[in-house]
Amino acid sequence: MRLILLALALCLGLPAQAEFSYQLQPRQIAADTWLFEGSTDNFDKHNGANIVNTAFIVGTDGVLVIDSGPSRRYGEQMREAIGRITDKPIVKVLLTHHHPDHVLGNQAFADVPIAALAGTTELLREQGDAMAENMYRLVGDWMRGTEVLLPSETLEPGVLEIAGHRLRLLALRGHTGADLAIFDETSGVLLAGDIVFYQRALTTPNSPGLDAWLADLDTLQALPWKLLVPGHGPVAEDAAPFEQMRDYLGWLDGLLRQSAESGAELGEVAQAPIPPRFAGISLTRYELIRSATHLYPKYEAQALERIDRQ
Amino acid sequence: MSMRALLLMVLALGAAPLQAGEPDPLQSVMWEHHHRNLLGGQAYVFDPQVRVELPPFAEDARQVPVLVDARALGDEVVRIEAWADLNPIPRIFTFVPGDEVLPLVAIRIRVEQATPVRAAVLTRDGVWHVGGAKVDAAGGGCTAPSVVRAQPGWEDRLGQVLGGRFPRGEASRLRMQVAHPMDNGLVGGIPEFFLNQAELRDADGQPLATMELYPAVAENPTLSLELKHDQPAQLWLRDNNGNEFEAAF
Repeated sequence: MRLILLALALCLGLPAQAEFSYQLQPRQIAADTWLFEGSTDNFDKHNGANIVNTAFIVGTDGVLVIDSGPSRRYGEQMREAIGRITDKPIVKVLLTHHHPDHVLGNQAFADVPIAALAGTTELLREQGDAMAENMYRLVGDWMRGTEVLLPSETLEPGVLEIAGHRLRLLALRGHTGADLAIFDETSGVLLAGDIVFYQRALTTPNSPGLDAWLADLDTLQALPWKLLVPGHGPVAEDAAPFEQMRDYLGWLDGLLRQSAESGAELGEVAQAPIPPRFAGISLTRYELIRSATHLYPKYEAQALERIDRQ
Repeated sequence: MSMRALLLMVLALGAAPLQAGEPDPLQSVMWEHHHRNLLGGQAYVFDPQVRVELPPFAEDARQVPVLVDARALGDEVVRIEAWADLNPIPRIFTFVPGDEVLPLVAIRIRVEQATPVRAAVLTRDGVWHVGGAKVDAAGGGCTAPSVVRAQPGWEDRLGQVLGGRFPRGEASRLRMQVAHPMDNGLVGGIPEFFLNQAELRDADGQPLATMELYPAVAENPTLSLELKHDQPAQLWLRDNNGNEFEAAF
């Protein structure tokens, strides 16, 4: 009997523990700057929601962390991985925006100041629990122990001197209404947050509008950056991610407008053909279904007029 | 028990599913219940000619687009019943298209959890043709706080209709969005308050199509219907508090 139990424990227990390792491998992308690059897939039980890019900067007197990842486990493993690179203390965590894949690792940094734009904290307060619940539904046990931990500091846009690096903080709004981009003037690295997706379809659940997003892209591209780190997808030394973003946003905007003007139903918009030039972008169909749901009602309202007897 | 009785029992058990009709392609535990309650237990076939189009997942469980298209059954269509199997309030609408209106309805609904959504189309021979599809959902759409009621001044906009007419070959698509909270009684302390009747009428006020609505329909209902030709049409609506609203296309 004891043997059977042992065998059961071996079958059930050990592989499960191994499965919850994100295998986080920091990769140095610039002086002092390290990246954890996530996949461009959707959240699922295989990737544990590691679909996101997080980063850290090892400065003179400490480490600055950018985004904490999708779960408590991710945050903890991220912190371990940082510890393998440097024994300097973590001095601060900056959150780019409130979406769950970027902030649900906060618990692992509870002893460190966690800073975000005021709007990000507000959105996380409103939506965090519901988003976390949905993450449990999507990726299951990877999320064990994860709870929303709100930022402890409010960031203002402007220059932040930290750990020997001069960071320019930009308050943008195209993706969620409160989006932080970080331009490291010392290294030339632009951490664009989710204002830039590359080779992965952008997401729109809180976008105030595609115009605002396009304006943010102009703001970022005009900076004297040398290396571009998108919130999702591979880093780039050229402007290809900006071009892809503009192309995709322009197509999406045109599709929604023309669909509304021709009287298309929401379901028909979601099934619209996706141009072949976007074939290399992950999850375009999935994200079109989502974006149509988020954005089409505004376009519809513009294409219809009051017809009731007043 | 004699061998013969046992055999009879086995036969009876084996035959029972046949009497109850063909098995549900969506394998829903609620099919028999809804068949009995909404279709009166009458004769039916599962028929791919009745198209129910849904997204594979509900991005917003409070606004799930549903398109019911029974045009393949043409003028044989008498009535369409639509419902979401696993919703606390399953019924969506009852639609009687009349001679000048196509058997096609696009509408948005609330879902409380992942569920099959069905349309049963009664044809002149008395048979229900049933189509359906499944939508995955995080859920909670039926019990989420009202978005409309959170918007200041919503009472002043009650019954406002945004509309438009769009050519579809010879046919004419009528799109409409009505400002109404469609309270379903499942959200704390707010009693049922929803549009329950709609009628499409011709220029003389004669009905072209009639529709009953149920509070599975989403807030600010968005609805599309198609006229066979480009004739004038008016919309008449009433809610369960007796408010009436009218619009003209």
